Amino acid sequence: MLSNLLSRFAAESEPAVHITPSDLFQINGVTITNSMLYGAICSVLILIVLITVGRRATVKPKRGLTQFVEVGTDFITNLLETTLGDREKALKYSPYFVSIFFFIMLSNWLGLLPVIGEAFTYNGHEPLFRPFTADLNGTLATATIAWVMVQFFAIRESGPINHLKHYFNGSFKNPITLLLGIFEMFSDLTRIASLALRLFLNVAIGEIIISVFAFLGKFAAPITALPFTMLELFVGALQAYIFVMLSIMYLAVAVKHGDHDEHGEEDHLTLEEVANLEVGKASN
Amino acid sequence: MIYFAAEEAINTAVLAKGIMMGFGMIGPAIGIGLIGNAFMTAVGRNPESSKFLGQILVIIAIIELMALLVFASLFIIK
Repeated sequence: MLSNLLSRFAAESEPAVHITPSDLFQINGVTITNSMLYGAICSVLILIVLITVGRRATVKPKRGLTQFVEVGTDFITNLLETTLGDREKALKYSPYFVSIFFFIMLSNWLGLLPVIGEAFTYNGHEPLFRPFTADLNGTLATATIAWVMVQFFAIRESGPINHLKHYFNGSFKNPITLLLGIFEMFSDLTRIASLALRLFLNVAIGEIIISVFAFLGKFAAPITALPFTMLELFVGALQAYIFVMLSIMYLAVAVKHGDHDEHGEEDHLTLEEVANLEVGKASN
Repeated sequence: MIYFAAEEAINTAVLAKGIMMGFGMIGPAIGIGLIGNAFMTAVGRNPESSKFLGQILVIIAIIELMALLVFASLFIIK
């Protein structure tokens, strides 16, 4: 009887590898896949969590979930501040980046629950839930929205003509700089693919590794799959941080060009001041 | 499928997967090793720089993308 009970914990006859999501049902002709369903659940959850914590934040720190969200917000806001330069710009852009950080991290972590996979099936052979970021469609959508928001912030910061001008080194009439500028604009679009692929591959391959190790330890599956689940916790948080850090760096690169003239006169010494410094040093 | 005269068939898909994994993982591994080398050299010259240089080590994840692309191509080859 014990072996019968233990065999309930065992994996199937081959490791269950899912790369693509499976269609569940249709609403008005729009097909809903299992990763869309889980993404909707994750969105509602993150809305509830962040709005509740936002109301409960006080000046004196509290323990628990509030502390965790505050630490994350501080982390991303400090990153924004060191990259962009001043504090008020960081506070202006931090709502979007903090939200996307928590959404991606929660979506990666919720993919490690035992709910995912072959345990709950819809029609007998299709899993009902699948993590949102383990699906290339989900990460492509996230990366596209991140790129659109970064362009929108950059245009709002420095104006549309100035934003277009920093792709071109020289004038528009020079054919070389014109071509290079167009190539630069196209290679800007490859950032969507790199962000999406990095997030999707890390999460999907982590899931495949967990399922392979659960298959290898047949009745000891909870023990053999444990180290890689711990690794996936760390990788999920790290990939969320890298996504947000790269988006912030793209924004900083797109915005910094317009601020060249403001800081120019303050930071650099003029020739007379350098000469006076040298004279002062030589006489001492 | 390559057929030998002795009626053995070599499955070239498995061969392709093996060669791709073998050659593909050399690049990212050497790249990450070079980053580690630069980090050690910089910290060795100026031990206080480990505070702000440790943060930039997340650049390893950008190189990791190449290794993961190789691993994911395993599932594309039939």
